[in-house]
Amino acid sequence: MKPLPQFQYHAPKTLMEAVELMDTLENAKPVTGGTDLVPLLREAACRPSHLVDLNNVAELNYVREHEGFICIGATATHSQVASSELMRMAPAVVDAVSRIGSPQIRNRGTVAGNLCNASPAADSAPPLLVYDAEVRIASSGETAIIPLQELFAGPKINCLEPNELVTEIRFPVPPESSSSSFKRIARRRAFTLSVASAAAYVEMDGGVCSESRVAFGSVADTPVRAPEVEELLNGNTLDDETISMAAMAAKRSVSPVTDIRGTAEYRRAMCGVLLERALHAAAGRVS
Amino acid sequence: MEVSFELNGDPVTVTVDPHVTLLDMLRKELGVRSVKKGCEQGECGACTLLLDGAPVASCLVLAPQVEGRFVTTIEGLEKNPLMIDLRGAFIDNGAVQCGFCTPGMLMSAYALLRDNPHPGMDEVKRGIEGNICRCTGYTKIIEAILDAAERIAPE
Repeated sequence: MKPLPQFQYHAPKTLMEAVELMDTLENAKPVTGGTDLVPLLREAACRPSHLVDLNNVAELNYVREHEGFICIGATATHSQVASSELMRMAPAVVDAVSRIGSPQIRNRGTVAGNLCNASPAADSAPPLLVYDAEVRIASSGETAIIPLQELFAGPKINCLEPNELVTEIRFPVPPESSSSSFKRIARRRAFTLSVASAAAYVEMDGGVCSESRVAFGSVADTPVRAPEVEELLNGNTLDDETISMAAMAAKRSVSPVTDIRGTAEYRRAMCGVLLERALHAAAGRVS
Repeated sequence: MEVSFELNGDPVTVTVDPHVTLLDMLRKELGVRSVKKGCEQGECGACTLLLDGAPVASCLVLAPQVEGRFVTTIEGLEKNPLMIDLRGAFIDNGAVQCGFCTPGMLMSAYALLRDNPHPGMDEVKRGIEGNICRCTGYTKIIEAILDAAERIAPE
C-alpha cells in the first residue's frame, strides 16, 4: 500500500489554540478519530498540508446536559455516546451509533466527525435530525450555531469554511412522552454502509401522536427530514392505516440514486418499510 | 518528531514522521510484528491493539496521536490469565488456521470478555465484527470465545 502523504501535525491543548491554528495555517484539516480521514489521506482524496488533532483539547470531550440541551463534544466517540446514560433519552441515536462500523471504529470515530464527513449514508445523521440537532461552530470570528441540516451542503460536502471547527452537536432535552428509533437496511448487519435508513421521533399524548419527526439516510444528496410525512402523522393515532399512509408518503418524499449498494427503486421501497418499522418501534418505546 | 508512550508497560520514545501510522511505527521502528498489516483501511481488524484499553485499528491511528498514551499488543498480555485461557480455547477449538487474523481476533475477544465475562452468541459476533477471518468461517472462533468465557468464569 502507498504510504500516507506528508503533512505537518499539530496537537493543540485548548480550543483557543486549535481555532488559532485553523485560522493561520494554510490548507489545514481538523482530525478527531481519523477513521474516515486516514483512508482518504491514503487514497490521496484529501491532501492537507497540516492536520490539527483535536483529541488533546480536553474541553471538547464530553456528553452532557447543559441549559436544556443534550450536548455532544467534538471528540466524543461513538462508543462514548452509545454508553452515555443521557442518551437513553434519545434511543434512536443509540440505535445508530452503537452499530456504526465495528468496535475498533466506534472506539475511535466521533459523532461530530461522522456528521462533518457529510456522507448521505452517515448513520448518526437521521437520528440527530429528528431531535432537531444543532451544530456549534468555532472560528476566529463569532461562534455560530446552525441547524444540523445546514451542515450538509451535498454528498460528502459540508458547509464549513476552511478555518471553521465544529465543537459541539446539541439537541433539546426531549420530553418524557417522547421516544424514537433508527432502522437501517444493509447487505449485512456488521460493519457496512446503509443501503437506506430511517429515523422516527414521536411524542405521544394519550394514544395520539402529538408531534413527529422523520428523517432518512442514503436516499438523497444528504440525510433529509420529511416534513410531508410528519404532517400525516401529527395529531393522529399511530394505527396501521396512518402508518401505511406515512410509508407511502415517505416513498414519494425521497430522491435516491442507483449505486453499488442498491437501486433507486429498491431504496425508495425500503424507505416505506424502514419508516413503518421505526414508527412501531418508537411508539412502543414511549413509556 | 519524537513520540513517547507506554508500550506493554514499558516507556518508549520513538523518532518518527507524523504521517507514519501507529501500525507502521510498531512494526518497523519497534519490531512488534503481532500487529498485522491487512487492508490499511480499518476494515479487516488484523492490526487491532488496545489504546488506553480500548480495541482500535492501529492502521487508522497516526504515530503522534499516541503521545502519552498506553498501547497494549498481544505481547503485553502474554501472562494475562484471560489471554492464556483465550489462547488455549483458540487452540483446542481449532479457531486458528493460517493465523494472520489471530492476534487481532484475540485482542478483540480479550476486550469483549474483559468487559462482558458471559457474552451471548450475538454479543460475541458483535465483539469480533471488526475482525475478518478468511479461513475459519468464524464458527470455531465464536465457539472458542464462548469456551474461554466458561474457562475464566464458569457460570
